[in-house]
Amino acid sequence: MKDFDVIRTRAHRLDTPDKATGKAVYVDDIDKPGMLYGALLQSPHAHANIISIDTSKAEALPGVKAVVTSKEAGSIKYGVSPARYDETVFAIDKVRYVGDEIAAVAAISLEIAQKAVALIEVEYEILPAVFTIEDAMKDGAPQLHEDFPKNLCAEVHHEFGDVEKALAESDIVKTTTVKNKRQDGACIEMQGCIAEFDRRGTLTLVSGTQVPHYVQRTVAMVLGMDIGKVRVKKPYVGAGFGIKASANPMELACCILARETNKPVKMNYTRDQVFKLARARHGFTHTITTGAKKDGTLMALKHECWLDGGAYSSFGIATVYYAGSLLGGPYKLPNMKYDGYRVYNNKPTCGAQRGHGAVIARATFEQQLDMIAGDLGMDPLELRVKNMMEAGDTTCNDLNMSSFGMAECIDAVRNGSGWDEKKGKMPNGKGIGMACGFFVSGAGYPIYRSDTYHGTVIVKLTEDGGTALVYTASAEIGQGSDTAFAMIAAEALGIPLENVRLESGDTDMGVDLGAYSSRQTLMTGHATKEAAEHAKAQVLEVLSGLLNVPVEEMDIKNGFIEFKNETPDITDIRTRYIKEHRGWIDNPDSEKLTFKEASRMAFLEKGSIVGTGKYKPHLLGGKFKGAAVGTSPAYGCSAQVAEVSVDVETGQITIERITDAHDCGKAINMTSVEGQMEGSVSMGIGEAMHEEVMFDDKGNVLNNDLAEYKIVTSMDMPQVDAVVVESDEPNGPFGAKEVGEGAIMPTIPAILNAVYDAIGVRVFELPLTPERVYWAIQEYQKKAG
Amino acid sequence: MLLPRFDFHDPASVQEALDLKKTYRENARILAGGTDLLVHLKKDLVSVEHLISVTKIDELLKIEEKGGDITIGACVTMASLAASGLIGEKLPALKQGAQSLGNHLIRNKATIGGNACNASPAGDTLCALLIYDAAVILQNSEGAREVPVSDFFVGPGKSCINDDELLTGFRIAVPPAGSGADYIQLGKRKSSEINVVNVASYIEIDPANQNILNARIALGSVAPTPIRGAKAEQVLAGKTADDTVFFEAAEAARRDDCKPIDDFRGTAGYRQAMIGVLTRRTLAAALAQAQGK
Ligand SMILES: Cc1cc2nc3c(=O)[nH]c(=O)nc-3n(C[C@H](O)[C@H](O)[C@H](O)COP(=O)(O)OP(=O)(O)OC[C@H]3O[C@@H](n4cnc5c(N)ncnc54)[C@H](O)[C@@H]3O)c2cc1C
Repeated sequence: MKDFDVIRTRAHRLDTPDKATGKAVYVDDIDKPGMLYGALLQSPHAHANIISIDTSKAEALPGVKAVVTSKEAGSIKYGVSPARYDETVFAIDKVRYVGDEIAAVAAISLEIAQKAVALIEVEYEILPAVFTIEDAMKDGAPQLHEDFPKNLCAEVHHEFGDVEKALAESDIVKTTTVKNKRQDGACIEMQGCIAEFDRRGTLTLVSGTQVPHYVQRTVAMVLGMDIGKVRVKKPYVGAGFGIKASANPMELACCILARETNKPVKMNYTRDQVFKLARARHGFTHTITTGAKKDGTLMALKHECWLDGGAYSSFGIATVYYAGSLLGGPYKLPNMKYDGYRVYNNKPTCGAQRGHGAVIARATFEQQLDMIAGDLGMDPLELRVKNMMEAGDTTCNDLNMSSFGMAECIDAVRNGSGWDEKKGKMPNGKGIGMACGFFVSGAGYPIYRSDTYHGTVIVKLTEDGGTALVYTASAEIGQGSDTAFAMIAAEALGIPLENVRLESGDTDMGVDLGAYSSRQTLMTGHATKEAAEHAKAQVLEVLSGLLNVPVEEMDIKNGFIEFKNETPDITDIRTRYIKEHRGWIDNPDSEKLTFKEASRMAFLEKGSIVGTGKYKPHLLGGKFKGAAVGTSPAYGCSAQVAEVSVDVETGQITIERITDAHDCGKAINMTSVEGQMEGSVSMGIGEAMHEEVMFDDKGNVLNNDLAEYKIVTSMDMPQVDAVVVESDEPNGPFGAKEVGEGAIMPTIPAILNAVYDAIGVRVFELPLTPERVYWAIQEYQKKAG
Repeated sequence: MLLPRFDFHDPASVQEALDLKKTYRENARILAGGTDLLVHLKKDLVSVEHLISVTKIDELLKIEEKGGDITIGACVTMASLAASGLIGEKLPALKQGAQSLGNHLIRNKATIGGNACNASPAGDTLCALLIYDAAVILQNSEGAREVPVSDFFVGPGKSCINDDELLTGFRIAVPPAGSGADYIQLGKRKSSEINVVNVASYIEIDPANQNILNARIALGSVAPTPIRGAKAEQVLAGKTADDTVFFEAAEAARRDDCKPIDDFRGTAGYRQAMIGVLTRRTLAAALAQAQGK
């Protein structure tokens, strides 16, 4: 095994001191001199034509500096996928959901801005609205977007192999339907931003976003500005989970208000507005048919999926593809057919959330695998072992597993949970269940069609030679990416982590597609490694000239220069360095030549030593339409075992323990990997057990706060035993790949399977609220007599 | 979501608070822990010009046992109730209620007086107050009156407190030997929960023959206010305590006493079924306690 000095340790995170002392600066902590406050007018109706907007009373209110509508914002359409830009900053003639933006106000205080919003008079012609897939697809149903008859936003049809034939050859065929509910990302920090133009017309938008790059492009496009005149900066961000992975209407409105007033403008969403913007997990209905041979060999998968999309497309086109393509693994499955449909309706827009598109498909399929194992009299764990893919395998839809520690993951949870001692031997009301999953380490292609690099990084050495500065436009949103890149830079340069400083989240620092699709560790990590190696090469080159030692015979390790062969005399360099630093207190006295001395020599010779790095994936995927979605340079995989107890009289489920193993390639920071695994489990439990955005019959969110929208509390979290499995990913920097999203895949089905093991009842609808479980038990008992 | 503007008063004594209440009447609100009131103000559900904070008034912060009664000041927090040895020993169902409310942070702020005045049908200490037959002490600048807690609640969010009154505390007769009580709340998660249903039961037995001398049952979240399970109590009256009679009482509570509605937190059918389960379970636990088990 390669030995590493910095990565694969449990280094303290760079942001720990700031966060532990409450000094970390988030958008809302920032104030600017002369700053105005913005507020949005959002539609109270789910579907209506706008007849007229009268802003005169709002404009007349003292303290109001600007009121803007589509008149100022224009009619340029934007969205996530250029093929489906279907939003404007403000509604032009029609609103499509409760919350659709109509106007915005900037005023000297938030109170005044909110008062002014209430003074804007809008005349609506109310239109009939649709809230369900069934209603939206009916003949004669109200149309949300002219170009999309039957409100069908997108459909996907794929077939690999011959599914009907394989099903006919199967000994056992199972069909089930599973339904989840819409989620909310429930990021602790609600979105906020500050926009400001300088006197030369450059716009700086400070925003709590996951994707400074995409926000920069969208702002430039909508405001009609050069990309170079728009700078997007991200301070500390209180999580994203996908909800902050595209430009939001508030960011755009804020930029327009800043332009109109020529003052800095701050805007924040309230929790209610976060629920209105949504862009979180879709409502999915999956019907899956799986065929298998008597010995458990999987033959074919036939899959139909309907997505409750909401008013606009957002990430939905990608979501409907992901929902199908990510069932291609982690099992060998030669035949797969998928029909996916995303439907518009007059509810808030769904988008991407941790485990994009794949979580409920995975839950449906993994539950079905247990049912098949049950019918065949096989241990469900053995069924999975029998079918799992190995490193080097390619799925029927052309996804290549360049590394794949699935077997190690299954072993780890089998041993860690005591599976063999427990399975089938637990008392009534207690159960154990398992599931597996896999996920991309970064989307193979950017959201817009382009040959762009997915990440560029700069490493600059300070003139004294002691410190490396890393500049990346990637997004630290709480997941620990800053620390990971500082560690990668330190490892690649051969210096201690303390000697690396890092700045991130600023579009002026380069291109980085941002924190989504579990891409940064692999992609930004590659670019960081390359930039650090580039800087290192320059230092060694200068040193080579000074010492007359070939570059290949030198290395940097732990901050010292290592010589493969004979160690040359370093006296000249040291004397020169000390002279340079006359009077300083930190003159080197080590036997070995330090990196600092070498790097100072390089500076004296060449000026600033700047290393640059870049990354884009090699050509990935098949040739069919939609082949790009699901491709990735690498895939993480995982297995989980859940242990539950069920109170059969009340339907209450207690999750007693989760044993979780994840193959993340080489772990850059062990503690952060475990953190992602535990966070994924908590989000998966929330989704399995409690979370559901509920609406009234007018399209209003009923549970629009965190008292009524129930995420997991610390009291609900079971013991999580997180086992990190480290394969060596050939396409990853130092062998690393994802952990951010793959780790959520098995949680829901492991719980579903454990509940079945406890009480013999299959539940096909989420979340598993006590009431839903109670009725399922009642129905089961009635049938059983 | 902005807090509106108001004048803030911080009286040092009950008398001072009552004088302020008399002056401003419906334009003033009492502020205790603020865990309901500040939320309602931010959501623009109530409007006020004056807030009268009462949490620094010493006499409202006391828990005392005197002459067979326990008195609890209105501003005693859930955290103090849960930590009180006296409450834990003599009014265990109230301790359980205080412990299940909200989460650690909320329990450090939320008061028992606020819980009662907020008069939510789901309020976590209210079922316990009902089964212990608490008297609510209300005071205005003229004097004090006591109202049985079963008469205090008049509707969701409404009590019989007058505009010029302050709730100063509760008086509860110390339950006799041979009695026991229990409280269970059922929600969707284990903390920060708004109950789907909640039930408290109190039982007093003759140790010689296990005959039920006294039984009180309170049901939460199944009517416009927390209510007593009158029919269930009738079933128990004079019977010998055992599983069969508890089952019958639970059936009466489920069938006859509760009038739940469907809302987004749960259906009436589920709530009703759970009233049966929780009534049975709380009675069994109360009996075990009464028997000294
Ligand atoms: C996150 C969260 C979770 C919660 N969870 C629960 C829960 O699980 N169970 C539950 O029952 N409640 C819960 N609540 C509601 C709330 O915490 C309780 O009702 C609490 O007991 C209210 O007490 P308070 O001191 O904060 O009241 P305040 O908010 O200060 O006052 C509430 C009302 O009572 C009036 N008032 C208060 N004291 C007096 C007095 N002495 N005399 C006259 N009027 C008075 C006020 O004017 C106001 O109208 C929760 C609240 C939050 C924010």
